[in-house]
Amino acid sequence: MPETAAEANLRKQLEQTLADEPSSPILHSNLGVFLWDRAEAEAAAKAEGEEEAKRLRAAAAEHFLAAAKLNPNDGVPFRFLGHHYARAGDAPRAAKCYQRAVALNPDDAESGETLCDLLDLEEKESLELAVCKEATGKSPRAFWAFRRLGYLQVHQKKWSEAIQSLQHAIRGYTTCADLWEALGLAYHRLGMFTAAVKSYGRAIELDSSRVFALIESGNIQLMLGYFRKGVEQFRSALEMAPCNHAAYFGLASALLAWARHCIMTGAFGWAASLLKEASDAAKVCTSFTGNISCVWKMHGDAQLTLARCFPWDDCNIKRGMDDGIFKAAVLEWRNTCLSAANGAKFSYQRALHLTPWEANIHNDTAICLDLICTMEDNNSLDPIVWELPEKMSLGGLILEPVNKDFWVTLGSVSCNQALKQHSFIRALHLDTSLSEAWAYLGKIYRQTGDKQLARQAFDRARSIDPSLALPWAGMSAENYHQSGDGPVNESFESCLRAVQILPLPEFQIGLGTIAASSGELLSPQVLMAVRQAVQRAPHYPESHNINGLVSEVRSDFQSAIASYQQARFALNMMCNSKTDNKYRIADVSINLARSLCKAGLSTEAVRESEELKRQGLLNADGLQIYALALWKLGRHDEALLVSRNLAENLPSMKQESATAALGFICTLTYCISGKDSAAAIIHKLPGQLSYSTQLKFIICALDALQPNKRFQLPQLSMPPRLTSYEVMSEVHSNIALGKAIGGELDKFLRVDSGLSYLRKVLHMYPNCSLVRNQLGSLLLSSGDWMASHKAVRVTSLSHGYTSNRGLRSLHQIQACAAVSCYATCTSYPKFSFSTCEDHYLSGYNAIHHLQRWVHLEPWNQDARRLLVLAIFQKAREEKYPKHICSILKRLILQVLSSDNNSQENKVVQYGNYLILLLSSEVSLQSSDYNNCIAQATEALGVNSSIADSFFAHLQLCRAYVMQGNHLNSKSEYMKCLQNHTDTEIGWVMLKQLASICSLEGTSDEIEIHLRECIERKGSNASKWVSLFNLACAQCSLWHEDFASAEKAIAQACAEGDPDICILFFNGAISMDIAWRFAAPQFIPRAASSLRKAQQKSLASLPIVSLLLAQAEGSLGSITKWEKNIRLEWFSWPPELRPAELYFQMHLLARQSSTAASQQNQLVETMQAPERWLLRAIHLNPSCSRYWTALLQPVYV
Amino acid sequence: MKLAGLKSVDGAHDESIWAAAWVPAADHRPTALLLTGALDETVRLWRPDDLASAAPPVQGHALGVVSLSAHPAGAIAAAVSLDSYVRVFDVDSGASVATLDAPPSEVWGIQFHPKGNALAAAGGGSGSVKLWETEKWKPITSLPVPRPEGARPDKTGSGKFVLSVAWSPDGKLLACGSMDGTIAVYDAIRMKFLHHLEGHHMPVRSMVFSPVDPHVLFTASDDCHIHIYDAKEKSLIGAMSGHASWVLSIDVSPDGMAVATGSSDRTVRLWDINTRASVQTMSNHNDQVWAVAFRPPGGTGVRAGRLASVSDDKSISLYDYS
Repeated sequence: MPETAAEANLRKQLEQTLADEPSSPILHSNLGVFLWDRAEAEAAAKAEGEEEAKRLRAAAAEHFLAAAKLNPNDGVPFRFLGHHYARAGDAPRAAKCYQRAVALNPDDAESGETLCDLLDLEEKESLELAVCKEATGKSPRAFWAFRRLGYLQVHQKKWSEAIQSLQHAIRGYTTCADLWEALGLAYHRLGMFTAAVKSYGRAIELDSSRVFALIESGNIQLMLGYFRKGVEQFRSALEMAPCNHAAYFGLASALLAWARHCIMTGAFGWAASLLKEASDAAKVCTSFTGNISCVWKMHGDAQLTLARCFPWDDCNIKRGMDDGIFKAAVLEWRNTCLSAANGAKFSYQRALHLTPWEANIHNDTAICLDLICTMEDNNSLDPIVWELPEKMSLGGLILEPVNKDFWVTLGSVSCNQALKQHSFIRALHLDTSLSEAWAYLGKIYRQTGDKQLARQAFDRARSIDPSLALPWAGMSAENYHQSGDGPVNESFESCLRAVQILPLPEFQIGLGTIAASSGELLSPQVLMAVRQAVQRAPHYPESHNINGLVSEVRSDFQSAIASYQQARFALNMMCNSKTDNKYRIADVSINLARSLCKAGLSTEAVRESEELKRQGLLNADGLQIYALALWKLGRHDEALLVSRNLAENLPSMKQESATAALGFICTLTYCISGKDSAAAIIHKLPGQLSYSTQLKFIICALDALQPNKRFQLPQLSMPPRLTSYEVMSEVHSNIALGKAIGGELDKFLRVDSGLSYLRKVLHMYPNCSLVRNQLGSLLLSSGDWMASHKAVRVTSLSHGYTSNRGLRSLHQIQACAAVSCYATCTSYPKFSFSTCEDHYLSGYNAIHHLQRWVHLEPWNQDARRLLVLAIFQKAREEKYPKHICSILKRLILQVLSSDNNSQENKVVQYGNYLILLLSSEVSLQSSDYNNCIAQATEALGVNSSIADSFFAHLQLCRAYVMQGNHLNSKSEYMKCLQNHTDTEIGWVMLKQLASICSLEGTSDEIEIHLRECIERKGSNASKWVSLFNLACAQCSLWHEDFASAEKAIAQACAEGDPDICILFFNGAISMDIAWRFAAPQFIPRAASSLRKAQQKSLASLPIVSLLLAQAEGSLGSITKWEKNIRLEWFSWPPELRPAELYFQMHLLARQSSTAASQQNQLVETMQAPERWLLRAIHLNPSCSRYWTALLQPVYV
Repeated sequence: MKLAGLKSVDGAHDESIWAAAWVPAADHRPTALLLTGALDETVRLWRPDDLASAAPPVQGHALGVVSLSAHPAGAIAAAVSLDSYVRVFDVDSGASVATLDAPPSEVWGIQFHPKGNALAAAGGGSGSVKLWETEKWKPITSLPVPRPEGARPDKTGSGKFVLSVAWSPDGKLLACGSMDGTIAVYDAIRMKFLHHLEGHHMPVRSMVFSPVDPHVLFTASDDCHIHIYDAKEKSLIGAMSGHASWVLSIDVSPDGMAVATGSSDRTVRLWDINTRASVQTMSNHNDQVWAVAFRPPGGTGVRAGRLASVSDDKSISLYDYS
């Protein structure tokens, strides 16, 4: 590159200044640097520029030399001189110059690096170290020196020193990936793995192609147990370097470790797929370098693990399975395992061939051979010939006779008991705390029947290493065979521990067996273990059998049946002695028959039982199943015959199974020939038999249905402490139901007698939730006026988990009570005033409670129905606001649409009928008459099979009346009369309609029906008659027939204990009559009714007091008038007080002010009388009376 | 691995709180926020560290909020209420985005697809999983839950009520849990039923896939157990027991090392997945715990793990997970 004009200019300037001042080292140096740069540029521009460059460099060197001479303390000229000599090939001189430069300025990275490179070339490592150390000692900013030093220290494996240097160097070169990598290596070698991973991670972050860092950090992740991350890192390393065998080896080992982890948790399918990848990776690695023994060993390990964990998959043969298919599937599985094992064997053989001096490969081969032997099942029983596994194991031992693990291996692969024992004892000689050896020794002793020694050995093994599975399993087996309750549980726990530590099929089957006998089959741990056992040992019949039991206990009968069938096929595959097999097949067949019966396949169950019977293997359990299946098929006589057969066997049975069988016989007899025969059987019972839970239950249930001849069984009235609490409460609630059922079955329930019995029981068992629930539900079904209030008090309200036993659940009782209060229980007086005398639910939101219930059990239709009812109740209280109506309609739609599949159920049908009526009512209230009629008609359709269609007709009648369709309404009315109802309120409502339909003539008929109804049900006559009279009075009022209205309402009041509303109504009518017809004789009557009403209502009802005040005033008692007006003031909520009330207060205030009785602060004296009046006018300016009052002389 | 109580807000809602979900951090909002839904028909938004209210409550979830799910982009969320509408709303403004109706059957649990392009809802009484796309909010499909081969008799008479739904983090699998304890697994790409997972025999109310192993599924059931399934290989690979009553909700920590559960026994438990054991029990709630939720990773300066739990006692609790 030729010199540009600017450069030429600069050179001239430099030369000029140097000429002016030739002794300045700086100027020499500057010119030198300029020339040197020119030389570099020339050299870089073209090849032939080399000559020119050389010339320039020489010139520059002269200037540098001059500068160095003039000022020997400046490092820059020395550096360039160094460059010059180095270029000229004069290494020693160059080194000296650089050394000088570095000595003068230790931060000079360029000289330092070049010097070190020079020294490196001459392999003067110690000199290089000395230079770096000197520089680092001189200046903390000599980062180049720290870096060089760090690399050298890493090279010399001085890890901890290297870490310090490297850390320092990193401060200078923060983004140097090499430094981070070296630091990672140093940490790695020092065993600081987390720090190493972080450093490697930083290196990878800076430069994603760092294969070394990726592989090394993968290895560390593997060592720390993070297989997943390790696999990721090896995979990304392989992406960068697809032929790196270290990465492949790492990947294979990571996958193998991950798979082993999966096996420990029982994810065999997952493990198998990982292992296949692992052995593929190892295979690829061997294809790169076939002569590394450890790669072959890795491949062998992966294959061996695969052979051990490959799961059997039965999903292909679920349907249409037979012996052949099952056998083929099992054989296929076995072949897969075997081929994997053989693959492992070959790999180990190769490894052994490469490195025959490695003892552990001998050992691995021995283990692999042992596995193949057990899988092939061809153990020859010749004790003289040494088996192959034994031989290989001994080969390992010859190489390393002091390896205790090899002795253990020899012991476990050997078939010879004496040799086994000898090897384990040799292993224990080498290390007395070798838990495996103790455990195996225990196993040998157990097999030879030496219980005491076995237990001791297991105990020792377990105390040395509690994380070893075998001793736990051994202890479990020891405990299982002992009798009694405690040890079985302990044995279950031990076995569970063993299975959790090591999921071996043998342990898992054992766990299943223990669980079956101790009733733990529902536990998910057992389910998991047994399902895995089937995957791992499909050739064991027991695994299928227990799998069936587990499915059965979970009500999955189809799977259970399939499992039992598989168990039978597996038994057929085994080549054991015939008689032994026969009993095992019989056991499985009984299980199968039971499952078939439970699944509803009675025909098949009968076939199985008959097959068993033919072979003479039908025991008591089998007989029960046989009888049940026959009964289900409708072959009653045969079923009875079988049950008689069973009854003959009773005395020879154990007590527990005998009582169970007896219970079965009773139930069956009851189902086939009715209660009398069942009762006869119970009467024939041998007295000494103690009654089990079920039997007691059956007896009291039968007793409940037996109206006349009660069993006077002494056993039922035995003292409570002798039997368990739970049972007795169930028995008692059954008895109570029996009492309620009473004399004849077609009569109404005699709830009262049941109630009184339950009350006694509750007194005995005060904290039994079942009894409480039962009592609550009986109360609700009693016609008691206050039942809803009482029911809630009886049951205790609790959130969360509640038992659902009894007639109704706790939730149901609460909800039913909330919607069944006859009075309006609103707590918000804006809509209406509460007339409920108890206010039991104040502050308690029934709808929220129901919503919680729906949220808890969203599938529960009862909850949804009750929610609909509760919201309807709310809508009714709030006068059917539009938003609630629309929510109601949506909820009703949900309830009706989700019931499609249970149309046959009568209860559900009746529920739907009621819901439809409710929906019709909502339409009626929103003046949608057509929909209302349509829904009521639909309700009639739903209800076609049920007797009680009265209310649908009533609803139709109401709708037609509202529509003004008199013809239709009359016809519906007549239908109501024809379709009787047993619900009193129906008649009362019909009475109201009678007058509107102008069908007065039938009124008496209604009354007769109502009285009949009351008599039949034994309900509270006075309440209903007074209500009926109220309806009569209302009708008369509509026709402005005050005289008869008064008569009717007076009658209503005369009945027993009238409701406050009726009293109030009576008072109001009397007052009205007195006012209309100027008949003062009615005023005292009115006053007395109103007084009663006022006394009865807890929270004072509005208007009652006002009316009473007027009556009292008319009767001449001013003080009473005053008192009542004041009462009236307080019975209104402040924001709702009407204008009239303010007017009355005005009158009162004027009265008081004239009386001047201001010593005690009364309400009316809070304001001046005219203020009261003004407020009244402000609230209702349209009332002329108020204006007139204002015009009175007092104010004018 | 432990939980430390940070803050508890009593009376956070006027009524029982039934649902909780974290809204992930978004471009316009640097931190994740907590959403809660309750019986009082509102959804409320809370700040992550002091549980201060972050926005006025969103009203109008008639009859109470059953389930909540936040879109992974952090802008919108969906809520299911007892009147079986799915209401999709903007998290920050509370404005309604869409209202999804599923007549005449119902919806219960919901979850957004991990990429956010679909919304899956457990179809309640319809016995299916319903899917909506999230652009125009049109229904995509309804995946019916086939009856397992060993069809067991129903106790209630109503079909299979589907309660819970979960997407695998890679979006390849979709699982739903039913009231009879069966779990159905679907291939979410081809929209095909794969198989049932068995083991529970009572309602499965909540489930979640592991964030690190996309085919490992954790389920919580009324049978008091927590199961770990390999959902792809159809095998039960773990079971954890310890709750004294129903397990109502489950969530897995973002590092995939721990799960937290809420139960009817009024406790929140933390479980170590590796040892399959309960590590810690928090009993600060005094009514059943209906939802637990780990804060998703992401957001500026957010390193610490957070767990939120909500309960029938109207309170929200926040824990530090480390």
